[in-house]
Amino acid sequence: MPSLLFLAAFFIAPLFVILEMSFQEGRLPVEGAGVFQNYQRLFADTFYLGVIAETVGLSVVVTLVSVLMGYPVAYFMVRHASGRSYDLIVFLLIAPLLTSIIMRTFGWQVLLARRGLINEALMMLNLIERPLGLLNSPLAIVVGLVHVLVPFMVLSIASVLQGIDRRLEESARILGAGKLQTFLRVTFPLSIDGVGTGAILVFMLANGSFVTLLLLGGGTLQTLPLLIYQQFNTTRDFPFAATMSNALLVLAVCCLYAQLRLIRRRGV
Amino acid sequence: MAQMREDVRERWALAAFTIAFFVFLIAPILVVVAVSFTSVSYVSFPIQGFSLRWFWRIVEYRPFLDALGVTIQVAFLSTAVAVLIGVPAALGLVRSRGASAEVAMTFLLSPLSMPMIVLGLALLFYLSALGLGISLISLVIAHAVIGLPYVVRTVAGVYRGVSPDLEESATMLGANRWQVLRHVTLPQIRPGIFAGALFSILISVDNLPISFFFGSPSTNTLPVVMLSYLEHQFDPSIAALSTVQMVLALAGLLVIERFYGLRHLGAPT
Repeated sequence: MPSLLFLAAFFIAPLFVILEMSFQEGRLPVEGAGVFQNYQRLFADTFYLGVIAETVGLSVVVTLVSVLMGYPVAYFMVRHASGRSYDLIVFLLIAPLLTSIIMRTFGWQVLLARRGLINEALMMLNLIERPLGLLNSPLAIVVGLVHVLVPFMVLSIASVLQGIDRRLEESARILGAGKLQTFLRVTFPLSIDGVGTGAILVFMLANGSFVTLLLLGGGTLQTLPLLIYQQFNTTRDFPFAATMSNALLVLAVCCLYAQLRLIRRRGV
Repeated sequence: MAQMREDVRERWALAAFTIAFFVFLIAPILVVVAVSFTSVSYVSFPIQGFSLRWFWRIVEYRPFLDALGVTIQVAFLSTAVAVLIGVPAALGLVRSRGASAEVAMTFLLSPLSMPMIVLGLALLFYLSALGLGISLISLVIAHAVIGLPYVVRTVAGVYRGVSPDLEESATMLGANRWQVLRHVTLPQIRPGIFAGALFSILISVDNLPISFFFGSPSTNTLPVVMLSYLEHQFDPSIAALSTVQMVLALAGLLVIERFYGLRHLGAPT
Protein backbone atom coordinates (compact mmCIF):
# COMPACT_ATOMS: atom_id res chain seq x y z
CA MET A 1 0.00 0.00 0.00
CA PRO A 2 1.52 3.33 -1.06
CA SER A 3 0.50 5.12 2.12
CA LEU A 4 2.39 2.63 4.31
CA LEU A 5 5.47 3.09 2.13
CA PHE A 6 5.04 6.86 2.30
CA LEU A 7 4.94 6.82 6.10
CA ALA A 8 7.84 4.37 6.29
CA ALA A 9 9.90 6.72 4.11
CA PHE A 10 8.88 10.07 5.55
CA PHE A 11 7.82 9.30 9.11
CA ILE A 12 9.72 6.29 10.44
CA ALA A 13 13.00 6.78 8.57
CA PRO A 14 13.40 10.41 9.75
CA LEU A 15 12.95 9.26 13.34
CA PHE A 16 15.86 6.87 12.87
CA VAL A 17 17.91 9.72 11.43
CA ILE A 18 17.56 11.79 14.58
CA LEU A 19 18.17 8.72 16.69
CA GLU A 20 21.47 8.30 14.87
CA MET A 21 22.19 12.02 15.13
CA SER A 22 21.69 12.00 18.89
CA PHE A 23 24.72 9.71 19.17
CA GLN A 24 26.98 12.22 17.42
CA GLU A 25 29.23 14.65 19.21
CA GLY A 26 27.41 17.79 20.29
CA ARG A 27 28.65 21.30 20.90
CA LEU A 28 30.03 20.45 24.30
CA PRO A 29 31.80 17.14 23.70
CA VAL A 30 32.72 15.20 26.79
CA GLU A 31 36.14 13.55 26.55
CA GLY A 32 35.87 9.79 26.26
CA ALA A 33 32.16 9.74 27.05
CA GLY A 34 31.27 7.68 23.99
CA VAL A 35 28.11 7.62 21.95
CA PHE A 36 25.78 8.25 24.85
CA GLN A 37 27.39 11.53 25.83
CA ASN A 38 24.38 13.65 24.82
CA TYR A 39 22.15 11.44 26.92
CA GLN A 40 24.59 11.68 29.81
CA ARG A 41 24.45 15.45 29.49
CA LEU A 42 20.65 15.41 29.41
CA PHE A 43 20.15 13.09 32.36
CA ALA A 44 23.09 14.08 34.56
CA ASP A 45 22.67 17.85 34.48
CA THR A 46 20.21 19.10 37.09
CA PHE A 47 19.17 21.91 34.74
CA TYR A 48 17.99 19.49 32.08
CA LEU A 49 16.42 17.18 34.64
CA GLY A 50 14.53 20.25 35.82
CA VAL A 51 13.44 20.90 32.24
CA ILE A 52 12.09 17.37 31.89
CA ALA A 53 10.31 17.71 35.24
CA GLU A 54 8.80 21.04 34.17
CA THR A 55 7.66 19.58 30.84
CA VAL A 56 5.85 16.70 32.54
CA GLY A 57 4.67 18.82 35.48
CA LEU A 58 3.14 21.45 33.21
CA SER A 59 1.34 18.79 31.20
CA VAL A 60 -0.02 17.20 34.39
CA VAL A 61 -1.36 20.53 35.64
CA VAL A 62 -2.90 21.38 32.27
CA THR A 63 -4.50 17.92 32.12
CA LEU A 64 -5.97 18.18 35.63
CA VAL A 65 -7.36 21.67 35.02
CA SER A 66 -8.84 20.45 31.73
CA VAL A 67 -10.61 17.55 33.46
CA LEU A 68 -12.01 19.83 36.18
CA MET A 69 -13.22 22.40 33.65
CA GLY A 70 -14.27 19.99 30.95
CA TYR A 71 -16.26 17.44 32.94
CA PRO A 72 -19.12 19.70 34.04
CA VAL A 73 -19.45 21.06 30.51
CA ALA A 74 -19.54 17.56 29.01
CA TYR A 75 -22.10 16.54 31.66
CA PHE A 76 -24.32 19.51 30.94
CA MET A 77 -23.99 18.94 27.22
CA VAL A 78 -25.05 15.28 27.37
CA ARG A 79 -27.62 15.41 30.16
CA HIS A 80 -29.27 18.80 29.94
CA ALA A 81 -28.71 20.32 26.52
CA SER A 82 -31.17 19.30 23.87
CA GLY A 83 -31.50 19.78 20.16
CA ARG A 84 -30.36 23.23 19.17
CA SER A 85 -28.42 24.05 22.31
CA TYR A 86 -26.53 20.76 21.91
CA ASP A 87 -25.61 21.67 18.34
CA LEU A 88 -24.58 25.14 19.48
CA ILE A 89 -22.28 23.66 22.14
CA VAL A 90 -20.65 21.32 19.62
CA PHE A 91 -20.16 24.24 17.26
CA LEU A 92 -18.67 26.46 20.00
CA LEU A 93 -16.32 23.63 21.02
CA ILE A 94 -15.07 23.00 17.51
CA ALA A 95 -14.96 26.57 16.18
CA PRO A 96 -11.96 27.63 18.36
CA LEU A 97 -10.06 24.58 17.12
CA LEU A 98 -10.13 26.16 13.71
CA THR A 99 -8.69 29.52 14.73
CA SER A 100 -4.93 29.68 14.47
CA ILE A 101 -2.79 29.03 17.51
CA ILE A 102 -1.23 32.45 16.87
CA MET A 103 -4.64 34.11 17.10
CA ARG A 104 -5.52 32.54 20.42
CA THR A 105 -2.14 33.29 21.93
CA PHE A 106 -2.35 36.86 20.68
CA GLY A 107 -5.79 37.12 22.28
CA TRP A 108 -4.40 36.06 25.66
CA GLN A 109 -1.54 38.51 25.27
CA VAL A 110 -4.09 41.29 24.83
CA LEU A 111 -6.20 40.08 27.77
CA LEU A 112 -3.34 39.46 30.20
CA ALA A 113 -1.03 42.39 29.38
CA ARG A 114 -0.14 44.96 32.06
CA ARG A 115 -2.60 47.38 30.49
CA GLY A 116 -4.72 44.57 29.15
CA LEU A 117 -8.43 44.00 29.49
CA ILE A 118 -8.28 41.98 32.71
CA ASN A 119 -5.99 44.35 34.58
CA GLU A 120 -7.97 47.41 33.44
CA ALA A 121 -11.25 45.81 34.51
CA LEU A 122 -9.90 44.81 37.92
CA MET A 123 -8.53 48.32 38.47
CA MET A 124 -11.80 49.92 37.42
CA LEU A 125 -13.59 47.76 39.99
CA ASN A 126 -11.00 48.89 42.54
CA LEU A 127 -10.10 45.30 43.28
CA ILE A 128 -6.41 45.97 42.69
CA GLU A 129 -4.35 49.15 42.80
CA ARG A 130 -1.56 48.28 40.45
CA PRO A 131 -1.69 46.06 37.39
CA LEU A 132 -0.84 42.42 38.07
CA GLY A 133 1.99 40.81 36.18
CA LEU A 134 -0.23 38.19 34.58
CA LEU A 135 1.62 37.82 31.30
CA ASN A 136 4.97 36.03 31.13
CA SER A 137 4.14 33.71 33.98
CA PRO A 138 3.45 30.00 34.44
CA LEU A 139 -0.19 30.99 35.06
CA ALA A 140 -0.43 32.53 31.60
CA ILE A 141 1.04 29.36 30.09
CA VAL A 142 -1.48 27.13 31.86
CA VAL A 143 -4.37 29.39 30.85
CA GLY A 144 -3.20 29.47 27.24
CA LEU A 145 -2.69 25.71 27.02
CA VAL A 146 -5.97 24.82 28.74
CA HIS A 147 -7.73 27.17 26.35
CA VAL A 148 -6.28 25.31 23.37
CA LEU A 149 -6.73 21.78 24.70
CA VAL A 150 -9.88 21.67 26.85
CA PRO A 151 -12.27 21.19 23.89
CA PHE A 152 -10.65 17.79 23.24
CA MET A 153 -11.33 16.84 26.86
CA VAL A 154 -15.00 17.86 26.68
CA LEU A 155 -15.55 15.91 23.45
CA SER A 156 -13.84 12.78 24.84
CA ILE A 157 -15.83 12.80 28.08
CA ALA A 158 -19.11 13.62 26.33
CA SER A 159 -18.78 10.70 23.93
CA VAL A 160 -18.50 8.25 26.85
CA LEU A 161 -21.18 9.91 29.00
CA GLN A 162 -23.56 9.52 26.08
CA GLY A 163 -23.25 5.74 26.23
CA ILE A 164 -23.93 5.32 29.95
CA ASP A 165 -27.09 3.38 30.71
CA ARG A 166 -29.09 5.81 32.84
CA ARG A 167 -31.06 2.99 34.44
CA LEU A 168 -27.94 2.23 36.49
CA GLU A 169 -28.14 5.70 38.00
CA GLU A 170 -31.84 5.39 38.59
CA SER A 171 -31.34 2.06 40.35
CA ALA A 172 -28.74 3.64 42.62
CA ARG A 173 -31.16 6.44 43.47
CA ILE A 174 -34.01 4.02 44.15
CA LEU A 175 -31.72 2.01 46.41
CA GLY A 176 -31.26 5.16 48.47
CA ALA A 177 -28.04 6.70 47.20
CA GLY A 178 -27.91 10.47 47.25
CA LYS A 179 -27.33 12.55 44.18
CA LEU A 180 -23.64 13.14 44.91
CA GLN A 181 -23.10 9.55 45.97
CA THR A 182 -24.71 8.32 42.75
CA PHE A 183 -22.41 10.54 40.75
CA LEU A 184 -19.25 9.51 42.62
CA ARG A 185 -20.06 5.81 42.82
CA VAL A 186 -21.87 5.20 39.52
CA THR A 187 -21.65 7.94 36.90
CA PHE A 188 -18.04 9.00 37.34
CA PRO A 189 -16.57 5.46 37.42
CA LEU A 190 -18.56 4.60 34.29
CA SER A 191 -17.17 7.65 32.50
CA ILE A 192 -13.57 7.12 33.54
CA ASP A 193 -12.58 5.81 30.09
CA GLY A 194 -13.62 9.10 28.53
CA VAL A 195 -11.67 11.03 31.12
CA GLY A 196 -8.69 8.77 30.43
CA THR A 197 -8.89 9.18 26.65
CA GLY A 198 -9.15 12.94 26.99
CA ALA A 199 -6.40 13.10 29.61
CA ILE A 200 -3.92 11.16 27.47
CA LEU A 201 -4.71 13.32 24.46
CA VAL A 202 -4.38 16.59 26.36
CA PHE A 203 -1.23 15.41 28.14
CA MET A 204 0.32 14.39 24.83
CA LEU A 205 -0.51 17.65 23.09
CA ALA A 206 0.63 19.74 26.09
CA ASN A 207 3.97 17.89 26.07
CA GLY A 208 4.69 18.94 22.52
CA SER A 209 3.51 22.54 22.56
CA PHE A 210 5.87 25.46 22.39
CA VAL A 211 4.13 28.46 20.77
CA THR A 212 2.11 29.14 23.91
CA LEU A 213 5.21 28.90 26.09
CA LEU A 214 7.19 31.12 23.76
CA LEU A 215 4.65 33.93 23.60
CA LEU A 216 2.92 33.75 26.99
CA GLY A 217 5.64 32.32 29.23
CA GLY A 218 8.43 34.83 28.77
CA GLY A 219 10.98 32.20 29.76
CA THR A 220 9.44 31.49 33.16
CA LEU A 221 9.08 27.81 32.30
CA GLN A 222 11.63 25.83 30.30
CA THR A 223 10.27 22.73 28.62
CA LEU A 224 11.74 20.29 26.13
CA PRO A 225 9.95 21.65 23.02
CA LEU A 226 10.93 25.20 23.93
CA LEU A 227 14.54 24.17 24.37
CA ILE A 228 14.52 22.25 21.09
CA TYR A 229 13.22 25.39 19.39
CA GLN A 230 15.95 27.47 21.01
CA GLN A 231 18.69 24.93 20.30
CA PHE A 232 17.64 25.00 16.68
CA ASN A 233 17.27 28.77 16.38
CA THR A 234 20.19 30.06 18.41
CA THR A 235 22.64 27.47 19.77
CA ARG A 236 22.36 25.24 16.70
CA ASP A 237 23.57 22.22 18.66
CA PHE A 238 21.74 19.72 16.47
CA PRO A 239 22.90 16.48 18.11
CA PHE A 240 21.70 17.76 21.47
CA ALA A 241 18.41 18.97 19.95
CA ALA A 242 18.03 15.46 18.50
CA THR A 243 18.67 13.97 21.95
CA MET A 244 15.95 16.13 23.52
CA SER A 245 13.62 15.21 20.66
CA ASN A 246 14.13 11.56 21.46
CA ALA A 247 13.36 12.14 25.13
CA LEU A 248 10.12 13.84 24.04
CA LEU A 249 9.45 11.00 21.63
CA VAL A 250 9.75 8.41 24.41
CA LEU A 251 7.14 10.34 26.40
CA ALA A 252 4.88 10.39 23.33
CA VAL A 253 5.29 6.67 22.71
CA CYS A 254 4.32 5.96 26.33
CA CYS A 255 1.18 8.04 25.83
CA LEU A 256 0.40 6.28 22.55
CA TYR A 257 0.76 2.92 24.26
CA ALA A 258 -1.59 4.00 27.06
CA GLN A 259 -4.04 5.27 24.46
CA LEU A 260 -4.05 1.98 22.56
CA ARG A 261 -4.59 0.00 25.76
CA LEU A 262 -7.53 2.20 26.61
CA ILE A 263 -9.09 1.96 23.15
CA ARG A 264 -8.74 -1.80 23.21
CA ARG A 265 -10.38 -1.96 26.64
CA ARG A 266 -13.30 0.09 25.38
CA GLY A 267 -13.56 -2.27 22.47
CA VAL A 268 -13.97 0.55 19.97
CA MET B 1 -40.67 17.53 45.24
CA ALA B 2 -37.39 18.15 47.03
CA GLN B 3 -35.63 16.05 44.44
CA MET B 4 -37.10 18.06 41.60
CA ARG B 5 -35.89 21.29 43.17
CA GLU B 6 -32.47 19.72 43.53
CA ASP B 7 -32.49 18.77 39.86
CA VAL B 8 -33.41 22.28 38.83
CA ARG B 9 -30.63 23.70 40.97
CA GLU B 10 -28.10 21.28 39.45
CA ARG B 11 -29.27 22.20 35.99
CA TRP B 12 -28.85 25.92 36.58
CA ALA B 13 -25.47 25.55 38.25
CA LEU B 14 -24.21 23.48 35.33
CA ALA B 15 -25.70 25.90 32.81
CA ALA B 16 -23.96 28.84 34.52
CA PHE B 17 -20.66 26.95 34.55
CA THR B 18 -21.05 26.05 30.88
CA ILE B 19 -21.73 29.67 29.94
CA ALA B 20 -18.66 30.82 31.91
CA PHE B 21 -16.65 28.11 30.17
CA PHE B 22 -17.64 29.36 26.75
CA VAL B 23 -16.89 32.96 27.71
CA PHE B 24 -13.39 31.73 28.57
CA LEU B 25 -13.19 29.84 25.29
CA ILE B 26 -14.51 32.57 23.01
CA ALA B 27 -13.31 35.79 24.71
CA PRO B 28 -9.67 35.72 23.52
CA ILE B 29 -10.90 35.17 19.98
CA LEU B 30 -13.44 38.01 20.07
CA VAL B 31 -10.80 40.30 21.56
CA VAL B 32 -8.54 39.69 18.56
CA VAL B 33 -11.39 40.34 16.13
CA ALA B 34 -12.14 43.62 17.94
CA VAL B 35 -8.49 44.70 17.92
CA SER B 36 -8.24 44.18 14.18
CA PHE B 37 -10.67 47.08 13.61
CA THR B 38 -8.81 49.62 15.73
CA SER B 39 -7.55 52.81 14.13
CA VAL B 40 -4.46 53.24 16.32
CA SER B 41 -1.14 51.46 16.00
CA TYR B 42 -1.11 49.96 19.48
CA VAL B 43 -3.36 47.45 21.17
CA SER B 44 -5.67 49.03 23.72
CA PHE B 45 -9.13 48.80 25.23
CA PRO B 46 -11.70 50.01 24.63
CA ILE B 47 -11.00 50.03 20.91
CA GLN B 48 -10.10 53.50 19.72
CA GLY B 49 -11.82 54.49 16.53
CA PHE B 50 -12.78 52.16 13.75
CA SER B 51 -10.77 51.53 10.64
CA LEU B 52 -9.80 48.91 8.15
CA ARG B 53 -6.19 50.11 7.92
CA TRP B 54 -4.81 46.92 9.46
CA PHE B 55 -6.51 44.85 6.81
CA TRP B 56 -4.77 47.00 4.22
CA ARG B 57 -1.49 46.42 6.01
CA ILE B 58 -1.85 42.68 5.27
CA VAL B 59 -1.88 43.45 1.57
CA GLU B 60 0.93 46.00 1.80
CA TYR B 61 3.36 44.02 3.94
CA ARG B 62 5.18 41.91 1.41
CA PRO B 63 6.18 38.93 3.64
CA PHE B 64 2.52 38.35 4.56
CA LEU B 65 1.44 38.10 0.95
CA ASP B 66 4.38 35.91 -0.05
CA ALA B 67 3.71 33.63 2.89
CA LEU B 68 0.03 33.42 2.01
CA GLY B 69 0.98 32.14 -1.45
CA VAL B 70 3.30 29.50 0.03
CA THR B 71 0.68 28.49 2.62
CA ILE B 72 -2.03 27.94 0.01
CA GLN B 73 0.25 25.96 -2.30
CA VAL B 74 1.52 23.75 0.52
CA ALA B 75 -1.97 23.17 1.92
CA PHE B 76 -3.48 22.08 -1.39
CA LEU B 77 -0.54 20.05 -2.67
CA SER B 78 -0.01 18.19 0.61
CA THR B 79 -3.73 17.48 0.85
CA ALA B 80 -3.73 16.15 -2.71
CA VAL B 81 -0.93 13.74 -1.75
CA ALA B 82 -2.71 12.74 1.46
CA VAL B 83 -5.98 12.05 -0.37
CA LEU B 84 -4.33 10.12 -3.20
CA ILE B 85 -2.55 7.71 -0.88
CA GLY B 86 -4.91 7.90 2.10
CA VAL B 87 -8.23 7.04 0.45
CA PRO B 88 -7.10 3.68 -1.04
CA ALA B 89 -5.58 2.76 2.33
CA ALA B 90 -8.77 3.60 4.22
CA LEU B 91 -10.91 1.63 1.75
CA GLY B 92 -8.61 -1.38 1.87
CA LEU B 93 -8.30 -1.49 5.64
CA VAL B 94 -11.97 -1.03 6.50
CA ARG B 95 -13.02 -4.10 4.51
CA SER B 96 -10.17 -6.34 5.62
CA ARG B 97 -10.21 -8.11 8.96
CA GLY B 98 -7.48 -9.39 11.18
CA ALA B 99 -4.66 -8.14 13.31
CA SER B 100 -2.50 -6.86 10.46
CA ALA B 101 -5.20 -4.49 9.23
CA GLU B 102 -5.60 -3.17 12.75
CA VAL B 103 -1.86 -2.64 13.09
CA ALA B 104 -1.71 -0.89 9.73
CA MET B 105 -4.56 1.42 10.73
CA THR B 106 -2.85 2.29 14.01
CA PHE B 107 0.34 2.99 12.09
CA LEU B 108 -1.43 5.28 9.62
CA LEU B 109 -2.95 7.28 12.48
CA SER B 110 0.21 7.39 14.57
CA PRO B 111 1.64 10.67 13.20
CA LEU B 112 -1.23 12.30 15.12
CA SER B 113 0.39 11.27 18.39
CA MET B 114 3.91 12.45 17.63
CA PRO B 115 5.05 15.79 18.98
CA MET B 116 5.17 17.86 15.81
CA ILE B 117 8.36 19.59 16.81
CA VAL B 118 10.10 16.19 16.87
CA LEU B 119 8.67 15.32 13.47
CA GLY B 120 9.75 18.68 12.07
CA LEU B 121 13.32 18.37 13.29
CA ALA B 122 13.57 14.77 12.08
CA LEU B 123 12.14 15.55 8.65
CA LEU B 124 14.43 18.53 8.20
CA PHE B 125 17.57 16.45 8.72
CA TYR B 126 16.23 13.53 6.74
CA LEU B 127 15.06 15.54 3.73
CA SER B 128 18.27 17.57 3.77
CA ALA B 129 20.23 14.32 3.60
CA LEU B 130 18.07 13.32 0.62
CA GLY B 131 19.01 16.60 -1.05
CA LEU B 132 15.55 18.18 -0.81
CA GLY B 133 16.51 20.48 2.05
CA ILE B 134 14.49 23.59 2.69
CA SER B 135 12.13 23.64 -0.25
CA LEU B 136 8.50 23.67 -1.18
CA ILE B 137 8.65 19.93 -1.92
CA SER B 138 9.95 19.23 1.58
CA LEU B 139 7.13 21.27 3.08
CA VAL B 140 4.55 19.44 0.98
CA ILE B 141 5.92 16.03 2.07
CA ALA B 142 6.04 17.04 5.73
CA HIS B 143 2.49 18.40 5.67
CA ALA B 144 1.24 15.31 3.82
CA VAL B 145 2.55 13.16 6.72
CA ILE B 146 0.36 15.03 9.21
CA GLY B 147 -2.59 15.40 6.83
CA LEU B 148 -2.72 11.69 5.98
CA PRO B 149 -4.14 10.50 9.34
CA TYR B 150 -7.01 12.98 9.08
CA VAL B 151 -7.93 11.78 5.60
CA VAL B 152 -7.65 8.09 6.58
CA ARG B 153 -9.67 8.54 9.76
CA THR B 154 -12.52 10.49 8.18
CA VAL B 155 -12.79 8.31 5.07
CA ALA B 156 -12.58 5.11 7.15
CA GLY B 157 -15.27 6.49 9.46
CA VAL B 158 -17.67 7.10 6.57
CA TYR B 159 -16.84 3.86 4.75
CA ARG B 160 -17.45 1.80 7.90
CA GLY B 161 -21.03 3.05 7.85
CA VAL B 162 -21.52 2.03 4.22
CA SER B 163 -23.08 -1.38 3.82
CA PRO B 164 -21.13 -3.72 1.48
CA ASP B 165 -24.42 -4.89 -0.04
CA LEU B 166 -24.42 -2.36 -2.87
CA GLU B 167 -20.85 -3.20 -3.82
CA GLU B 168 -21.63 -6.92 -3.76
CA SER B 169 -24.75 -6.43 -5.89
CA ALA B 170 -22.77 -4.43 -8.44
CA THR B 171 -20.13 -7.16 -8.59
CA MET B 172 -22.77 -9.85 -9.05
CA LEU B 173 -24.34 -7.83 -11.83
CA GLY B 174 -21.02 -8.00 -13.64
CA ALA B 175 -19.26 -4.75 -12.76
CA ASN B 176 -15.48 -5.01 -12.54
CA ARG B 177 -13.54 -3.70 -9.54
CA TRP B 178 -12.80 -0.38 -11.18
CA GLN B 179 -16.47 0.16 -12.11
CA VAL B 180 -17.59 -0.71 -8.58
CA LEU B 181 -15.12 1.77 -7.14
CA ARG B 182 -16.00 4.49 -9.61
CA HIS B 183 -19.80 4.17 -9.64
CA VAL B 184 -20.68 2.63 -6.27
CA THR B 185 -18.00 3.20 -3.64
CA LEU B 186 -16.69 6.66 -4.44
CA PRO B 187 -20.09 8.38 -4.65
CA GLN B 188 -20.90 7.00 -1.19
CA ILE B 189 -17.69 8.07 0.50
CA ARG B 190 -17.41 11.45 -1.20
CA PRO B 191 -18.48 13.39 1.93
CA GLY B 192 -15.72 11.64 3.89
CA ILE B 193 -13.06 12.46 1.31
CA PHE B 194 -14.26 16.01 1.20
CA ALA B 195 -14.25 16.46 4.98
CA GLY B 196 -10.88 14.72 5.39
CA ALA B 197 -9.36 16.95 2.72
CA LEU B 198 -10.74 20.04 4.41
CA PHE B 199 -9.29 18.96 7.76
CA SER B 200 -5.96 18.30 6.11
CA ILE B 201 -6.00 21.80 4.56
CA LEU B 202 -6.93 23.45 7.84
CA ILE B 203 -4.24 21.53 9.74
CA SER B 204 -1.64 22.49 7.16
CA VAL B 205 -2.59 26.17 7.13
CA ASP B 206 -2.28 26.41 10.92
CA ASN B 207 0.86 24.31 11.27
CA LEU B 208 3.78 26.00 12.95
CA PRO B 209 5.96 23.37 14.67
CA ILE B 210 6.87 21.71 11.37
CA SER B 211 6.76 24.69 9.06
CA PHE B 212 9.22 26.78 11.01
CA PHE B 213 12.00 24.22 10.48
CA PHE B 214 11.61 24.71 6.74
CA GLY B 215 11.52 28.49 6.93
CA SER B 216 13.27 30.67 4.36
CA PRO B 217 12.13 33.81 2.53
CA SER B 218 10.68 31.66 -0.24
CA THR B 219 9.23 28.89 1.96
CA ASN B 220 7.90 30.75 5.01
CA THR B 221 4.28 29.90 5.67
CA LEU B 222 1.86 32.36 7.21
CA PRO B 223 2.13 31.15 10.83
CA VAL B 224 5.94 31.28 10.63
CA VAL B 225 5.90 34.88 9.41
CA MET B 226 3.25 35.79 11.99
CA LEU B 227 5.27 34.26 14.83
CA SER B 228 8.46 36.10 13.93
CA TYR B 229 6.43 39.31 13.47
CA LEU B 230 4.88 38.81 16.94
CA GLU B 231 8.26 38.19 18.51
CA HIS B 232 9.47 41.60 17.35
CA GLN B 233 6.45 43.86 17.32
CA PHE B 234 2.98 43.94 18.73
CA ASP B 235 0.59 45.73 16.41
CA PRO B 236 -2.96 45.04 15.24
CA SER B 237 -1.96 43.71 11.82
CA ILE B 238 -1.57 40.23 13.34
CA ALA B 239 -5.11 40.60 14.66
CA ALA B 240 -6.43 41.55 11.24
CA LEU B 241 -4.65 38.65 9.58
CA SER B 242 -5.93 36.23 12.22
CA THR B 243 -9.47 37.50 11.71
CA VAL B 244 -9.29 36.92 7.97
CA GLN B 245 -7.92 33.41 8.57
CA MET B 246 -10.67 32.66 11.06
CA VAL B 247 -13.42 33.77 8.69
CA LEU B 248 -12.01 31.48 6.00
CA ALA B 249 -11.70 28.54 8.43
CA LEU B 250 -15.25 29.09 9.73
CA ALA B 251 -16.49 29.02 6.16
CA GLY B 252 -14.67 25.69 5.85
CA LEU B 253 -16.34 24.42 9.03
CA LEU B 254 -19.77 25.34 7.71
CA VAL B 255 -18.99 23.46 4.51
CA ILE B 256 -17.95 20.38 6.54
CA GLU B 257 -21.15 20.68 8.55
CA ARG B 258 -23.23 20.71 5.37
CA PHE B 259 -21.55 17.73 3.78
CA TYR B 260 -20.62 15.66 6.77
CA GLY B 261 -22.26 16.87 9.97
CA LEU B 262 -20.33 17.98 13.02
CA ARG B 263 -21.85 15.30 15.23
CA HIS B 264 -19.81 12.66 13.41
CA LEU B 265 -16.55 14.25 14.49
CA GLY B 266 -17.15 13.13 18.05
CA ALA B 267 -14.29 12.07 20.23
CA PRO B 268 -10.82 12.03 18.75
CA THR B 269 -10.11 8.37 19.31
